[in-house]
Order: sequence, then structure tokens, then C-alpha cells
Amino acid sequence: MAASTNQELVSKKYAKRSQMAEIWRNLKKNKGAIIGLVIVVLLVIMAIGAPLFLDYQKDIVSQNVSQRLQPPSFQHLFGTDHVGRDIFARVIWGARYSLPIGIVAVIVAVILGVTLGAVAGYYGGVVENVLMRFGDIFASIPHILLAIVVVSVLGQSTINLMIAVGVTSTPAFIRVSRAAVLTVRNQEYIEAARAIGMKDWQIILKHILPNALSPIVVQVTLRVGSAIISASSLCFLGLGIPAPAPEWGAMLSEGRKYIRDYSYMTLFPGLAIMITVLALNMLGDGLRDAMDPKMKR
Amino acid sequence: MSQENKELILDVSDLKVRYETEDGVVHAVNGVNIQLERKKTLGLVGETGAGKTTTAMAMMRLIPSPPGVIECNKIIIDGMDVMNMSPRQLEEVRGQEISMIFQDPMTALNPVFTVGEQIAESIEIHEKLSKKDAFVKAVEMLEMVGIPGSRAHEYPHQFSGGMKQRVVIAIALACNPKLLIADEPTTALDVTIQAQVLELMKRLKQQYDTSMILITHDLGIVAEVCDEVMVMYAGRIVEQGTLKEVFNHTKHPYTEGLFGSIPNINDRKSELQPIPGLMPDPTELPEGCTFASRCPYATEDCEKKQPEYRYMGGTHYVACIAYDDPDFHIKRRVTNG
Amino acid sequence: MHRYIIKRLLMLIPVLICVSFVIYFIMDLAPGDPALIIAGDQATDEMIEKVREDYGFNDPLIIRYANYMKGLLKGDMGSSYVSKKDVWETYCQRFPATAKLSVAAIIVSLVLSLILGVYSAVNQNTWKDNVSVVLALLGLSMPQFWLGLLLIIAFALNLGWFPSGGDLGGWRSLVLPAITIGTNNAALMTRTTRSSMLDVIRQDYLCTARAKGVSEKKVIMHHALRNALIPIITIAGVQFAYILGGAVLVETVFAWPGVGRLTVDSINMRDIPMVTGCVVITTMIVCVVQLLVDILYAYVDPRIKAQYTK
Repeated sequence: MAASTNQELVSKKYAKRSQMAEIWRNLKKNKGAIIGLVIVVLLVIMAIGAPLFLDYQKDIVSQNVSQRLQPPSFQHLFGTDHVGRDIFARVIWGARYSLPIGIVAVIVAVILGVTLGAVAGYYGGVVENVLMRFGDIFASIPHILLAIVVVSVLGQSTINLMIAVGVTSTPAFIRVSRAAVLTVRNQEYIEAARAIGMKDWQIILKHILPNALSPIVVQVTLRVGSAIISASSLCFLGLGIPAPAPEWGAMLSEGRKYIRDYSYMTLFPGLAIMITVLALNMLGDGLRDAMDPKMKR
Repeated sequence: MSQENKELILDVSDLKVRYETEDGVVHAVNGVNIQLERKKTLGLVGETGAGKTTTAMAMMRLIPSPPGVIECNKIIIDGMDVMNMSPRQLEEVRGQEISMIFQDPMTALNPVFTVGEQIAESIEIHEKLSKKDAFVKAVEMLEMVGIPGSRAHEYPHQFSGGMKQRVVIAIALACNPKLLIADEPTTALDVTIQAQVLELMKRLKQQYDTSMILITHDLGIVAEVCDEVMVMYAGRIVEQGTLKEVFNHTKHPYTEGLFGSIPNINDRKSELQPIPGLMPDPTELPEGCTFASRCPYATEDCEKKQPEYRYMGGTHYVACIAYDDPDFHIKRRVTNG
Repeated sequence: MHRYIIKRLLMLIPVLICVSFVIYFIMDLAPGDPALIIAGDQATDEMIEKVREDYGFNDPLIIRYANYMKGLLKGDMGSSYVSKKDVWETYCQRFPATAKLSVAAIIVSLVLSLILGVYSAVNQNTWKDNVSVVLALLGLSMPQFWLGLLLIIAFALNLGWFPSGGDLGGWRSLVLPAITIGTNNAALMTRTTRSSMLDVIRQDYLCTARAKGVSEKKVIMHHALRNALIPIITIAGVQFAYILGGAVLVETVFAWPGVGRLTVDSINMRDIPMVTGCVVITTMIVCVVQLLVDILYAYVDPRIKAQYTK
């Protein structure tokens, strides 16, 4: 009969699935997200595998003046730079800077931002007010200026670059995690947890943060991309990783000097940044849609 | 079921509307015929999801496309076929020949414009008046629906629900349309306000000689306002006739079920008799009578094919094969009082 | 409304005190002795010591900051350690270039994002929508300085339509930097416009408008867009303020003589009064733009106006 087949259909359709599987199922449907994911995985493999094929001293930084400023060819796919280094090899090696910097910077931002945001949301009152005002003040200084100030105070190094970019990405995480905490703060099961004597930090960690997980994960994917751009911007300004490291932004800064006659030098490192960030953004957008179909746009 | 030689304001024949979505094709309206004489009021009755609003939107050609697809022989409003009109012509017809009052006054008004501006807009478009003159007329309209003209400069959020619905009515009637479609105009309102709004609509309808289609699931309102009634179920008209025919000589089991679902204020001991089950999924409608799965009188024959319309005398039609048996009658007895 | 504005302006004071203190404090932590910079390369130890005395570098931080604030209250932002020029005057010299660029850039991004965003929302889930979504994503993923370099290669070096850098006066030198910043901002704003329009586009009141006989074009551009505007101007305001505060990268790429470069150069030189001055003024500008945006809300949405006057 019609009614019974209908019911079967319904039960099949809404069979209980674990949340992760559900997200993965939604994500798989999104072509852009899958393309993004594939590219990100390839980039990670490239970054990890680079030392198997390339030698840092020999292939990346050693100068070979006889080969300088060669346009792209089969021998040098992306051409060579002003001191004869192969740009293709340098761009590949560059993933070993940009990806970890982006990821670590965001981890820094997550740790700082989520802690502050959760505390602000959970305790409310004066604590919240002070923290949020502070966040607003931070947000009213342009990110790049803030990062420049931090780098110039700490000095130029990879670690400091990560910290500088991380600090500037923090306010976004304060906002997201505070908002998430606010939505569950007054729920009864939090009361119950308090009643059985759980400590505040246990409640925050066990009951509140899991609820904030999906907006935070989405922010992470999207922020890694912008962190990579920020970091390479600083390197472009000469405030990042010292030469001769093949960081993409720094390579662009070098290429800029030869832009008039050897414009290919500025093409490939920038393309590398764009593809990386684009892949992360596509993945982030896809994750956002997959985690909350209601938000799908 | 033709009514020749009478002046019809509306003549819809074989209207079908479907929405083609990712999850399948939703068959919202499946072959509806409506004919309405001038100055008459038609009640379109049925439960939520029966396709009443879609029918109304289709008559105004307001079905968003994609995903909506309208198929129809003709939709003739005051002698003009809406189906053959260009977007430009449709804009002229909307608001002037046919206009609509929407279900939820809370969301039907644009929050960023004053109510005066919103009424005036229609007048400005159709009567080709200047902004200023249109506004003057809008203030008059506002007073007509019982709101002081001085409030024309206020925004929707400054009005109560009932007041907002008055504004919506003023917008709909601003250009004196020949046909007014009111889609559950009182559902979102308090009971006391409901009566006021209904009274207002009745008065204005008479004053302007407007024909009206009243969409509702409230049979009480139908009894109060309508001349004719159509009962709609799963995108089809299952019973139609004059108010008297449908209310006093109910034929279709679904109509019977609707009456059984109303609390009886005169007999507090009588039990409600709700219709069991749910309306069929509009993405996969059954082949036979759509009501068969919920019908207490259903037989195997009901699931074989769509029942055809059967003439029951006067202007009364019903779509139910049970009446093949001349002795068949539903259980509901009409009691006067 | 006036009370609201005054309240907001008063709230600026603690913010500025905070920002100036933080920057002053951080810059003090920075390695490098400003006395060395002031005294110059050939300075003897005595000369450096004398500079320290004169500038009060031997005082504790809090005293120096208090002295700085005393000057600030009198409207004196001090003078640069490096050029010895007045901070306020130096800033004012650089500001017109930045203002010009900011206005041009925000116009570019508003035009681009409104067209693309509305078009995309109206054609949701069609190929037209997909194309604009991908375009926005591309714009978002492109580093600003790289886009600037590409534009220079294409339009300055190869085609020779526009100069490759510097503020030469007139509109020609403005085109490439404005497009660079504008495109980047437009990407973000297109996404905002699209999602904001999608929120509005299914609202009942648009149906009311259509039922009145309003043309589809007017329904979208008048009834819908007006309602979708709040998130758009929020983002536009933030972006505008940031460019005003210094589009450091684009100013570098195009050798644009704006305040962004001034700030970065002063940071590199450990020019504390100059840095603090720049950041304080920038923050002030950001806050004032924010206030203007909030006032603009009231004109766009009467419900927000009602909240302000409460």
C-alpha cells in the first residue's frame, strides 16, 4: 500500500547517521569543496615530499649566475631568477613555509581567541565587557599595521611571523566562540552540570565548546587562507622570513625589481599563493555549507 | 459546469502548477477550474498545503520561475487572458484589475518604507499620478480602512498586526481592482480583530463592487462572507457549489471531514471528529482519488483513477465515485441551528 | 539622535587612550635604541647620552607616556625622532593622497560588488550565479600586492595606458591602485551582497510589491536592495576605514605617498611619536567612519533609528 512504502522511504531517508558521516556526505556533493580538498592534500604532499627530490642547499638557495634570468623553458619550467635559481623548485619549496605558517598562525589564534571568547561568554558581566572592548580596539587597528608592529617588536623570524599573523586573526575567533557560548550558556544542562559540582573550566571544555565546534572549524579553514596572505604580505614588505628562503611573498618582492623585463618572476609565486588560498576557501565554503545546510547559500 | 451568458470576472480552466525542485517535482495544483461572476465572493477552502495559495499566485502569474511551472488552458480576468501577457502587461494588470491580500500582515509590508509610500506606490503606477498626488490619495485610502491619515508617515513597525492588515487591504484596494484575492486575511490576527477586518473587507467590497476570492480554512468565515464555495484537496477541487449547497447538502467525504473538525459551540458534549492521516506527498501523488487513503468510505475502485466531477443539481459538483451508487450518502446530517 | 552621537564620540576617548598606551608600550619594547637614531651615525657616547637626557629616555615608561599624553591633550602630537618635523603636520601632508585613493577604491568596490552580488542573487543557482561566485572567490584569494603587480605588467608596462606608480595628480595614476584595492574589497562585498540579497529576496513584502504591479527591476533595486543594504554598508564601512588607515601593500607596490607607507617607515625607524601618532589618528578615523556608518543605518532602516532615539 502507498502508506507503508511511504513510511519505509521516510525511515530510509532519515536513518540516523553519525554527524561526521553526514558532514562528509554533504561535502561530497559539493564539487568546489572536493576540488579544494584535493588541491590542499596535493599541496600538503608537495610540502612534505619536497626534500625527497630537492636539496635545500643545492637546488633552492645556491646561486648560479650563468643561468640567471632565463625565461620559462623545459629545463626551467618557471624560469630562473636574478641569481640563477630555478623558480619552479623554489615555488615548490615555498609551500613548506606558507602552509605551516598559515596553520600555526591559526592555531595560535584559535587558542587565544577561543579561550578569551569562551571566558567572555561564560562569565559575562565585567569580564565580558572588558574583553570585548579590548577586542574591538584591536579590531579597529588595521590588521596589517598590527602585524607589522608585532613583527618589529619581536624581530624577524618564522616563529614571530606566525605569532604576528596569529594575533591579528584572534578577534574573529573571540567573536565566534563567544557567540556560540552565549547560545548555550543558560541552557538547563549547564545548570545541571554546575549542580553536580563540575568546575567552570570543565563545563566550558566538555559542554560548551563542543557546541561551538562547527563555526570554529569553518573559521579555521577560511582563516588559514587569509593568514597565508597576511604572512606573505609581511614577507613581501621585507618583514618576514629573512632571505634567501623561498617564501612566496619574498620571491614576489624580489621579482618586482625585475618586473619591467622579466615579468615571469612575479607570475608564478603569486599564482602559488592564489591557488593555495583559493583551495582553502573553496574547502571552507563547502565545509560551512556541509555543517549547516540551513546556512547554504 | 459552465455558466454561459453570465458575465464572468474570472474564468480559469485546467490550471496546473508544479515546482521542479532537486528533490523531485511537487505537483501543487492539478487541474483546477474556477469561474466567478462579477461582484460575487468565492470561498476557497482546504487545509494547509492543499494548493490554495499557489492557485491564487498562479492567477496573478506570481509563481517564481524557476522552480515553478504553470500550465493552463486559460486564465481570463475581466476578458483578458493573463497567460498570454508580456511582463509589461502583467504589471499593468496587477494591482489594477486583480490584487491580493497576503496571509501574514507582519511580513507583507516593506519595513523600510512608510505605509503611505507603500499605498501610494500602487496609485502612482496605475493612475499615473505624481508622487505628491498619489500620497494624498494614499492618505484617503488609509482613512477608508479606519486609520488616521496622520499616520501615513509612520513605518510598519509602528503598527499593530490588525492595523498592518488594514494597511495591506488599503494597498490592495488602492486602485479599485475588479478582483480581489484575500489569502487567509485574518489567520494571523486575534479573534476580535479578525471580526473587525472581515467586516471592513465586506464593506469595502460592496462599496467598490469588487469580486473576491477568499482563501481560508475557517468554514465560519466562509459562511459569513461567501456566496460560493470550492473545497480544495491536494491541488484539486473536490466539491463546489453555492454556500447553501456545500454547507447544507455536503457531498464529499473530505468536506464532511472538515465540518467534523470544527468544535460545536452549541453542543459542548459532541466530540471532534478529526480527519485521520495526512495529505499525500505532493511529489508522488497516488493515481486514484487523492483522498482515498484517509476516506472512511473508500473502496478499491477509488484507487484506480481520478474521480470525475458529478453534477448534483443547481451549481453543485462533487468529485467522488461513491455517488455512482444512487443510494450513497455521507453520515453528516444537516441540523438547523 | 544627537545624544547618541555625542555618547559615541565620548566613548572614543577611552579607546584612544588605550590604543595610544598599547602602541607606546609595544614600541618601547621593540629592540633598537631611538637615541642612536636621533643622534645619528657619527655620534659619540656623550652625544647619545645627551639625547637621552633631552628626550627623557632615562625616565620610566609611565612618565614618558604621561608627558606624551600631556602634549596630546594640548593638541601636540610631538615631533618625529627622524625628520624632527611635527607629527600632525607630516600626517596631514600625506593624508590627501590616501583619502583620494580610499574614495576611488571604495567606489570601485561598491559598483562591482553591488552589480555582481545582486545579479548573482537574482539568478541563484544558475550558471550566471556560479560565475559570479567563482569570480568573487578568485578575488578573495588573490593577494592584493600580486594583483597590483599583474595590473602594472598588463596596463602600465605592456599597454602603457596608466603610469606604474606614484601620485602624479589627475585621475590616471589613481586608476590602477584603486582597481587593485577595489577588486579585493569587492570580492568580500560581493559575497555579503549576495547572501544579504538572498535573505531578502524570498520575503513576503516583495510579493506584495509585485502584486501591486511594481516592475521586477524596481522590486529588486528599490524594495529588495534597500532592505539588504545594512550588512553591505557595514562591510563597506570597515573596508573604507582600513584603506584610510593605510593600504600599506598597495601604497608600496604603486609607490603611493600615503599614510600607510608613513606608518610602516616610522615603525622600521623606531620613530615612536610618529608611529603612535599615526596609529592614534588611524584609530580615530576608523571609529569616526564606524560612527558615520551607524548613523547611515538609521537612514536606511527606520527600525534602527527608533532604537537610537530611545
